[in-house]
Amino acid sequence: MKLSLRELVVDFRTPDQGRLPALGPISLEVLPGEFVCIVGPSGCGKSTLIRTLGGLQPATSGSVAGDDLPITRPLSTLAIMFQDANLMPWRTVIDNIALPLELAGVDKARRHEAVYELLPQLHLQDFALSYPAELSGGMAQRVALGRVIVQRPRALLLDEPFGALDAMTREKISLELLDLWRKGRQTVVMVTHDINEAVLLADRVVVMSSRPGKLVADITIDLERPRAINMIYRETFLRLAREARAAIDPPDS
Amino acid sequence: MAEVGETKDPKPRSRTIPISLVQLRRLSPLFSVIALLLLWQLITSAEIYPAFIVPPPAAVGEAFREALQSGLLVKHLGVTLEEMFLGLILGLGIGLSIGYAIAKLPILEYTLSPVIVAFQSTPIVAYAPLLVIWFGSGPTSKIVTTAVIVFFPSLVNTIVAVRAVSPNLRDLMNSLNATPWQTFRQLELPSALPVVLAGLKTSATLAVIGAVVGEFVTQGSGLGFLVTSARNQYDTPLVIVTVLTMTAIALSLYSFVVLLEWRWLAWRRRSKP
Amino acid sequence: MRKILGTALISCFIFLSSLGAQADLIQERILLTFIPNIQFAPFYLGIADGHFARQGFEVTLEHLQEPDVLDLVAAGQADFGIVSGEQVILARAKSRDVVYVYEWFQEYPVGIVMISDDDGADLANLTGMTVGIPGRFGASYSGLTTLLQSAGLSEDDIELNEIGFNAPDVFCLGAVDAAVVYVNNEPLQIRDRLAAGDCGDVTGMAIVSVASRVDLVSNGLIVSADLAERDPDKVQGLVNGFNSALKATINNPAKAYLASGAFVETLPGEPEFLTLLRELAAEQEVFLATDPTREQIGESRSDMVELLANALGPDNLTQFEVLLRTIELWDADTLGHSDLSSWEAMSDTLRLMGFLSDDAPDLNAAFSNQFVTGIRE
Repeated sequence: MKLSLRELVVDFRTPDQGRLPALGPISLEVLPGEFVCIVGPSGCGKSTLIRTLGGLQPATSGSVAGDDLPITRPLSTLAIMFQDANLMPWRTVIDNIALPLELAGVDKARRHEAVYELLPQLHLQDFALSYPAELSGGMAQRVALGRVIVQRPRALLLDEPFGALDAMTREKISLELLDLWRKGRQTVVMVTHDINEAVLLADRVVVMSSRPGKLVADITIDLERPRAINMIYRETFLRLAREARAAIDPPDS
Repeated sequence: MAEVGETKDPKPRSRTIPISLVQLRRLSPLFSVIALLLLWQLITSAEIYPAFIVPPPAAVGEAFREALQSGLLVKHLGVTLEEMFLGLILGLGIGLSIGYAIAKLPILEYTLSPVIVAFQSTPIVAYAPLLVIWFGSGPTSKIVTTAVIVFFPSLVNTIVAVRAVSPNLRDLMNSLNATPWQTFRQLELPSALPVVLAGLKTSATLAVIGAVVGEFVTQGSGLGFLVTSARNQYDTPLVIVTVLTMTAIALSLYSFVVLLEWRWLAWRRRSKP
Repeated sequence: MRKILGTALISCFIFLSSLGAQADLIQERILLTFIPNIQFAPFYLGIADGHFARQGFEVTLEHLQEPDVLDLVAAGQADFGIVSGEQVILARAKSRDVVYVYEWFQEYPVGIVMISDDDGADLANLTGMTVGIPGRFGASYSGLTTLLQSAGLSEDDIELNEIGFNAPDVFCLGAVDAAVVYVNNEPLQIRDRLAAGDCGDVTGMAIVSVASRVDLVSNGLIVSADLAERDPDKVQGLVNGFNSALKATINNPAKAYLASGAFVETLPGEPEFLTLLRELAAEQEVFLATDPTREQIGESRSDMVELLANALGPDNLTQFEVLLRTIELWDADTLGHSDLSSWEAMSDTLRLMGFLSDDAPDLNAAFSNQFVTGIRE
């Protein structure tokens, strides 16, 4: 799925009827199957961008489109994952992953078939009937990831999906995500505050300025795929990371 | 796979506790009951009060047997149970639905709160006689009394519970294009259930009070009537039997809700291995 | 040191309690039923006019449920109580050893009002009628059972409707054809409403009192058998005091009504009404000094109502009239005397109602006229 933003502006209403500019104007095009990471200082409107793309936040002006059709409400082809695993504590792992299918009216047998197929890729095969309270943070996030990909979306919107995990777990899951993406070839827009993570995963790294968020750099990552963790020691990697860093904190400031 | 939470090895410390001590702990609630019975027996044996004021446990046991055999207790118990259950269903139904509406539409709370708070802060015994005049001396007035007393805790708990539903999970449901019914069934209901059930424990015990207060006001039938009637016939053992029956109803209802919690909220007993 | 402190504390206590109890009056509480009400006027007059004090008592009044009054007296928690005779019979059957020592109400206060345009009342007409009753308990239920029995009827012959203490409203609404009432109270209210044309389609009523058919024992003073045995002088003293207060109330209801104002908050008391009552009370004292007969005193009471009604109109008067009606239930040649037959009649009624088994204890021990005979003025 191709995602396009044209002159998108999002303002928030303040309690005293004023308007607080959150985002834009911003224009961006993400090609089908492309993996784009968005980095920027906190409060730059990255999450707002994801929510707008996901149809959860209306645009104040400008347009958001998926395959040239305007996005005005959440689409089943466009899945969102948040920083928080956000699981339902009363559902088992399989039932949490199956939630999108259940809401879409898929019958139980097919739901379970789809979920059990996914479990090994998520390394969750031993936890199918566990409850969220029994899972570690990394496993919970894997469940959340499973819930996103189970509906076979054509685009994934990931809002700092691994932000709450420790560094080791995070690295591991990031690469697992890449693996899943390589098989599914969905369009991915992922917000992260970790520049190394962005460079390691993405085809393009988009840098945003602080509020109201605007696009300040769009860096193409020409590292070959599949990516591996040791690439972070390469000269190219370091150069790209430096470039992104410089765009966030311009040297003259 | 399912055994992850259950097959974990017992902690080494618990192995050192002698099994008899664990059993002792499990039986400890029984001890307080036995102690109470002993104290009771002691008071009657010491004749601190005449037997017609505090009858000995044996006399109460005998009265219980008689009341069971004559069918007196079962008859009045049936009346009270029927009023109580209908009242409970009515009060819960209204409390849950208005509570849900208020949680979803804060303007309703603003509009309704004076009436609701006034209803709640007025002692039911004060206006129970009015309910009898309005709804007649038959079962209706007792059902209404029960419903009124049950209404408020279920209302408040519903409001609290529905408002406490995680906004992130609401976002998730929105992003998955859930219908309002799906959001209710898959998110709000299971999320609110623990608080609503906790409220139900209060409501269930209050329901007994509601029915009995109603029966006190209009004489006729039910355990409330049986207490008055036994009192008027100077049958103190029967008074105590009836009161204990009320206690038993309240305890059973309470235990039933605990059982529901055990079944429906099994997930709350799970934690990291 | 501790001894000194203890002694000091004790002497302090003795000093304080001697302050509390005036002179050397015995503190005595009398347990009553219902709520403060003009029908308890003899107690109010007895306290206000020193009838109890002259016998050495400082009396306080407390209102409780009838079974509670009985149990507290039986258990020795209180010395004196007022309950109805039926309670004495029921409680004695359940091993409460109390004795009824003074019959306050000579006539059973319950009756039945029926819709009637010619004052004529025939209990046989009750067959098939809807009859209102406060509930299937207490004096009204016993009274009804006795009345039905006296007419050869039973509860199955009528449609009994529990209406609480709302007889005047329900009667005037036409929801019942007849109602069980206290003859000294509700009939007066219905009469007033009839007079005001405020009683729906009902245009007339007739009353049949239980007392006109059967002599049933009613309210009286009880003590525990233990107290009667242990301290008969104390019982005699209180009986003397109450007898004297009751006689004074019967002789001068105006005075009793005035004394009741301090005890019954809701008692009507417009200034002009009270002024008139004070005049009447004073005149009555003068009249009593002429040593009139019981009949003459009865006439003087009727004159009081007539005079008050002419001066003030019928409003305000109802409570005073309740008092006069109630006095008729108390008045007798020998106040306080109880007959075995009235106990037997009550006992029969209780058996009929299924409240009493056949092996109930001896009625002769339930009451005693010993203290009535021993009254010294």
